[in-house]
Amino acid sequence: MASSVTFDMRQPVDFAIIGSGSAGGIIAKELSTAGFNVVVFEQGPYRKAQDFTHDEYSVLFNSELLGGGPRISGQTFRQYASETAESPVEQPIRYAQTVGGSSVHFTANFWRLRPVDFNERSLLGSISGTNFADWPISYEELEPYYTRVDWEIGISGAPGPYDAPRSKPFPMPPLPIKSSGVLLEKAAKALGLQAQVEPHAILSQPHNGRAACIKCGYCMFFGCEVGAKSSTLAAVIPAAEASGHCEIRADSAVFRIETDEKGRASEVLYYDADGNEQAQKVKAVIVSANGAETSRLMLMSASERHPDGLANSSGFVGRNLMFNAHSAGDGVFEQPLNDYKGAQVSRIIHEFYESDEKRGFYGGGGIDSRPLWSATPIFHALMGMPPDVPRWGKAFKDEIAHNFTRQMSIVGSTTSLALDRNNITLDPANTDQWGRPSMRLTYRDHDDDLAMAKFLQDRAMELFDAAGATKAWRHPIHPTDGGEHLLGTCRMGDDPSTSVVDRYHRSHDVPNLFICDGSSFVTSGRGQPTMTIMALAFRAAHHIKIAASAGEI
Amino acid sequence: MVTAMKKLRPVSRRRFLKSSGALTGASLLRISAPSLVAITQAACTAKDEAAAFNILGVQEAADFAAIAARIIPTTETPGATEAGVIYFFDNAFAADMSWALENMRAGLASLNATLAANYANKSHFSDLDEMDQDAVLSANETTDFFELCWLTTIFGFFSMSKYGGNKDHVAWDLIGFEGHHGAWEYPFGYYDAEYAKELSHGE
Repeated sequence: MASSVTFDMRQPVDFAIIGSGSAGGIIAKELSTAGFNVVVFEQGPYRKAQDFTHDEYSVLFNSELLGGGPRISGQTFRQYASETAESPVEQPIRYAQTVGGSSVHFTANFWRLRPVDFNERSLLGSISGTNFADWPISYEELEPYYTRVDWEIGISGAPGPYDAPRSKPFPMPPLPIKSSGVLLEKAAKALGLQAQVEPHAILSQPHNGRAACIKCGYCMFFGCEVGAKSSTLAAVIPAAEASGHCEIRADSAVFRIETDEKGRASEVLYYDADGNEQAQKVKAVIVSANGAETSRLMLMSASERHPDGLANSSGFVGRNLMFNAHSAGDGVFEQPLNDYKGAQVSRIIHEFYESDEKRGFYGGGGIDSRPLWSATPIFHALMGMPPDVPRWGKAFKDEIAHNFTRQMSIVGSTTSLALDRNNITLDPANTDQWGRPSMRLTYRDHDDDLAMAKFLQDRAMELFDAAGATKAWRHPIHPTDGGEHLLGTCRMGDDPSTSVVDRYHRSHDVPNLFICDGSSFVTSGRGQPTMTIMALAFRAAHHIKIAASAGEI
Repeated sequence: MVTAMKKLRPVSRRRFLKSSGALTGASLLRISAPSLVAITQAACTAKDEAAAFNILGVQEAADFAAIAARIIPTTETPGATEAGVIYFFDNAFAADMSWALENMRAGLASLNATLAANYANKSHFSDLDEMDQDAVLSANETTDFFELCWLTTIFGFFSMSKYGGNKDHVAWDLIGFEGHHGAWEYPFGYYDAEYAKELSHGE
């Protein structure tokens, strides 16, 4: 599907933006509506709302939106650098390859970071063996952009007792409380904790010309067929294209950023839909391809001038990957919850957000209740069964039939510490469908991350008990072997020796190269990073516009 | 559509299921009692409809159908047989899961080859009665072949009818999933309905 405007590949376009997701889509809209000519490269196809389905088999098990599994999309995994990375069956790095990127398929849980997330290193001190650091910006600096996300992207919610200060109220009331939310809220109260409303990037009312949520329940990993989920596809890309200054070039897989003799980015090389090499001349490049793909592209763009990869004089490209660790317990209740209806989460607990030395380890996290794998039948049958039930036969069937509508999970999501050993590198032995080196994921959580996951799971089991679950069980906590949150791999900072981009997302090494996506994060937050990626994108675009207008790019 | 498991051997897929916790219950299996309601042999259904198969032969279809019927048996409610899971097998092994066809055929052949030693004159799984079928599956429960049968049965039972199984949404009806409808009104379940009542009484 072609955009209404196309740009000549031989004439340098003002900005090439690599990636159309949470950051790329917003930056594209901001720059194009300001009159700059923009080409957005997206390796996936241009799907629209009407192309999204409720087909669990295709979406969850045939990788419909993910690009086709680990071999096709080019991913390998290992825990430690001493091991040889392999392609597992399940894609370890799960991001959507489609216009709008992972903002299309994410669950739409939408938390702001809090002030503590930006300066926790100063507050708590260093943590040995880690790259734990402060951000170069504060919550106060980012707040106006969080508010722009609220209103321009479209957020539903209500204030909670532990929220960071906000300059404007939520633009829309929250989505309705579900049975899982009621049970969490009552259990929290019984334990002396306070549950609060989950904010969503989902419209509870019509907003900015878009339709409200129909509560179909297909949020997590699915695209929204009515455009009520506030993806960049639904919320900003239409305005970008309507500007007449933005071309969305879908089915275009970038494999290299070329630099000229002055060391400036000059050309974006990519494979088109037919697999042919193409080259787009550029005045500037913004990479928003996600924490994994961005790192791979920087490393693939190595040259004599940039022998360790583009923008990588610090050696920090690809390092400090943070997934947020997770834990889950499941519980069954006497009456039907029918929690497969509506958005996944309706209540959360943020009482354990801050690190507490009394726990004996660093970390903080959030708790939510949701159907999780009991939102769809196949996932439920594969993942949702209690450990004491046979895996087949009448008892198995009876358990599925009884539990599907009566089951929920309580999920903990935690901090991840930044470590050298957790990273994205180029796989020396494997390539993806275009012939690009596979992304080699090396990851083993810090022990504190897993301790925090366990701590939250212990709270989850107490909550199930207080909520009156007839049965509850833990899912074993394993070291993280993949995820959707791709954070920290091109971190921002003031010191070029320990960061990849400056506080305005400009790379320290290449003046006309900007990087803005989850890779910019310095710390991981406590889960739900998308809102911060979007706020960073609004802020980055603001400063890029100023610099470009002043001729300083 | 390309499948995530297309190019991988079952052993790798099992590692996935193990790591994701799906195999947790394996060691705790107990053989279920014979079902209370007499059912038509899955094999018969498969044989009657044999002309409709894309890739499966009549005998192997009967055996796969019989295996699926033990994984999700017909009881007072419909099972894999009524859902037509064998047609999902047939469609999947002809397309999405064609990578697995060879392994499935080899696995079935090995399983059938072991029968004669314990069951006189029986050379096909579908020839056994249900109790014997359950005993054979229990003995094979840790094999890659069983894992793949198990996974395919669940896919076939619960996926959209367009893939061949879940005929008339019988699987979704069984679990109370109204997934073929598209939109919902609050309240969704018992506890949120009660909560709404409490709120309105409090006003």
